[in-house]
Amino acid sequence: MTFFPMIPFIIVLGISFYFFSSTLDKSTQASLERILTDHRKMIESFLLERKSDLELITRAYTFQDIMAEGAIGTICHSLQERSAAFVDLGLFDETGNHLKYSGSFALAGKRYTQEPWFQKTMLRGFYISDIFLGYRNIPHFVVAVRRTENNKTWVLRATIDTVFFDSMVSGVRMGKTGEAYILNHEGVAQTARRSGDIALLDKDPAFGWMQNQFSANQQTFQLSPKGQPFLYAVSKLANKSWYLVVRQEKHDVYRALYSAVLICVGIAISGLAALVVLAYFTSETICRRMERLDEEKEQLGSQLIRAVQLAEIGEMAAGFAHEINNPLQIIKSEYALIKILMEELYPGKDTVPDPQTFNDIRESVDQIHKQVERCHEITSAILKFGRKKEVKHTTLDPGTVIPEILKLVENSARTSGVEILTRIEENVPSFMGDPGRFQQVMLNLVNNAMHAVTNQHGAQGGRIEISAAQTRDNEGQTMVNIQVKDNGCGIAPEHMDKIFSPFFTTKAVGKGTGLGLSVCFGIIESFGGTMSVDSRPGEGTVFSIQLAAHENQSS
Amino acid sequence: MEKMKLLLVDDEPRYLETTSKLIERKGYEVWTAPSGEKALETMAAHNIHVVVLDVKMPGMDGNETLKHIKEMYPLTEVIMLTGHATVDSAIDGLKSGAWDYLMKPADVEQIIEKAELAFQKRMNQEEKIRSAQAKQYLKSPREILKQGKE
Repeated sequence: MTFFPMIPFIIVLGISFYFFSSTLDKSTQASLERILTDHRKMIESFLLERKSDLELITRAYTFQDIMAEGAIGTICHSLQERSAAFVDLGLFDETGNHLKYSGSFALAGKRYTQEPWFQKTMLRGFYISDIFLGYRNIPHFVVAVRRTENNKTWVLRATIDTVFFDSMVSGVRMGKTGEAYILNHEGVAQTARRSGDIALLDKDPAFGWMQNQFSANQQTFQLSPKGQPFLYAVSKLANKSWYLVVRQEKHDVYRALYSAVLICVGIAISGLAALVVLAYFTSETICRRMERLDEEKEQLGSQLIRAVQLAEIGEMAAGFAHEINNPLQIIKSEYALIKILMEELYPGKDTVPDPQTFNDIRESVDQIHKQVERCHEITSAILKFGRKKEVKHTTLDPGTVIPEILKLVENSARTSGVEILTRIEENVPSFMGDPGRFQQVMLNLVNNAMHAVTNQHGAQGGRIEISAAQTRDNEGQTMVNIQVKDNGCGIAPEHMDKIFSPFFTTKAVGKGTGLGLSVCFGIIESFGGTMSVDSRPGEGTVFSIQLAAHENQSS
Repeated sequence: MEKMKLLLVDDEPRYLETTSKLIERKGYEVWTAPSGEKALETMAAHNIHVVVLDVKMPGMDGNETLKHIKEMYPLTEVIMLTGHATVDSAIDGLKSGAWDYLMKPADVEQIIEKAELAFQKRMNQEEKIRSAQAKQYLKSPREILKQGKE
C-alpha cells in the first residue's frame, strides 16, 4: 500500500530522465561530429594549401631558376613566411638525385630513387607522405610535386614540421579528455595523442575495428564500443589514406548525464524515503484512529447492550414490585396478627396463656422469615441481572442456566396466567457465552412472548415453551438449538424482516426502545451463533437460537 | 344491625389465612377465595357485602372478576387491592365500578376501614331501596303480589 504513491513519482522521474539522457546523447554526438567535420576540413585545407604552395613554386620558377645559386634558400624562406609548417625544401631530378637543398640537414647529393615517396610522386605528380624517419632519422612527412618542363622532369619537395602539424591536429579540445589524432591506412599514428599513451609512429590497437566500420563505405562514423571507455568519431581525409580520429572518454562526454543520473537517483531516494516516512506516519495515524474508533464502537456497543438491559429491567420493574409487594403484604398481616397475639399474652392479664397462641406466633414468625427469604431471592435476582460486570465468555450449560433465568419470570408469568414449560434434553451440550448477556437474551425473548400471549389470551391460556436440544448443522457439527415458542398474537408478515432492526417497535411511543431484539441478535452473533424467527399471526411465534457446541462437551 | 360479610380474594394462601384471622378477631364474618372463579362460587353460596379483590391473579384476574361481580351482584361493593406501584390498574378498577382501591402492602385496619365505608354505603343503598319499595307498597299494595309473582 505504501508503494502506490511512488508509482507516479517513479514514472515522472523515469520519463524525464529518459528524455534528458536521449537529448544529451544526441547533442553530444552532434557536437562530436561537428568537431570532427570542422577539423577534417581544416586539415584537408592545410594539406591542400601546402600542396598548392609547392605547385605555385613549380609554376613560378623554372628548373634553372631554382638551380641558380642561392635561389632555393630564397624560395624556402618565402615559403616559410607563408606557412611556418615548412621546414626545408629540396629539388630533385627525375632519377631522384637531391640537387639542391635548403634546410638544417645535410641532405644535398643523396639519392632518393628507391624512396617510396619519390616513386609515388613520379607516378602521381604529387604526393603527401606518411610520417617516416628517412635519412635524417627524425619523424617527418613530405609534400612533393613533380613538374615536367621542356621534356625535363623534376621534383620539388618540402618537409612539413611534424611539431607544427601535430599541434594543429591535437589542438582540438573537448572537455578534459577529448583529443584528435591521425592514423594512416595501417593504423600508425601520424600525430601523437594529447593524452600521451600513443606516440608518433605507434600503432593504435583500436584501428582494427575502426577499419571494419569503413566497409560500409561511410565517410564518417561514430561509435562507443562496448568495453571501451571512449566515444569515437572517425573520418577519412579526402585524397589521402589518413583517418582523423576524435575521441573522448565516455565519462567525460556524459559528465552532465552522470550528474543528472546522480541528481535523479538522489531525488528518487530522498523522495521515496520521504514518501515512505510520510506513508508510515499517515498510516500509523489512520491505524491509531481506526483502533480508537473500534474501541469506541465496542464501548458504544456494550453501552447499548447495557442500556437495553436497564430498559428491560425498567419494564420488568412493575412485575418485580408486585413480586415484592406480595410477601410484604403477608409480612404486614403477620405483624398485625403477632401484635394482637402479643397483646393477649400481656402479663397484666391473669389468664393462663393459651399454648395455641404461642404456636400461632411461632408460625407467624416463621412465615415472616419465609417471606423475607422470598424478597431476598427476588432482589438478588434483579441485582444479578442489573449489575454491570465484565463480559466474560465461559461454558454455559443450558440445563442449569435456563431454569435459573426462568426463575426471574416464573412468578410474574404465573400471576399473569401464563404457563411456562421447559423442555431441556439431557444430552444438550454446553456452549460458549457470557452468562449475563445470555440471560438478557432469554429474558427479552420470554418477556416478549409474555406480552404476545397476554395480548392474545389475556390472563388465561397463554403458553410459553422453552426448549433446548442438540442438533447438527449442514457440516455435521454439533449445535445447540434453543427455542422460545409461544402461542401468542404472532408477528405481522410485513414486520417480519424488520424485527431485528434497531429502533423498530410496534409498541407505543415511550413504551419500548425498539432495541431489545436487535441487541439480542448482536449478542448471539457475538457468541458466534445465529438467531431466527418464525411466526404465524394469531397462532404464535418461535425464536430459535443456534449456537455451536463447546468442543469439550460434545463427544 | 346486620354484620358485615367480607370476602377476601388473593392468590397468596398464607395472606388469606392470616388476614381472615385478623378480620374475624374484629368481629366480622370472613370468607376467602384463592382465585376469581372461586370467589364467584363463594358469592353464589353466601350473601357477601364487601369483596377485597387482588388485581393481579393467575387465571381470571382482578378486573375481570370485578366485572363479573358487578354484573351478577351490583350491590356488592368491591375494594381493589393492587400490588403495582402504578395506579393504572386501580383506575381501571374504579372505572369498572369498584368502590375504592388499596395499595399493597395495606394495613388490616385500612382494609376494615374501607370495607366499613363500603358496607355503610351498601346498607344505605339497601335502606333506600327498601324505603322506596315500602313507599311503593304503601301506594299500591298489589305490587307486593306482582313482586312475588316475578
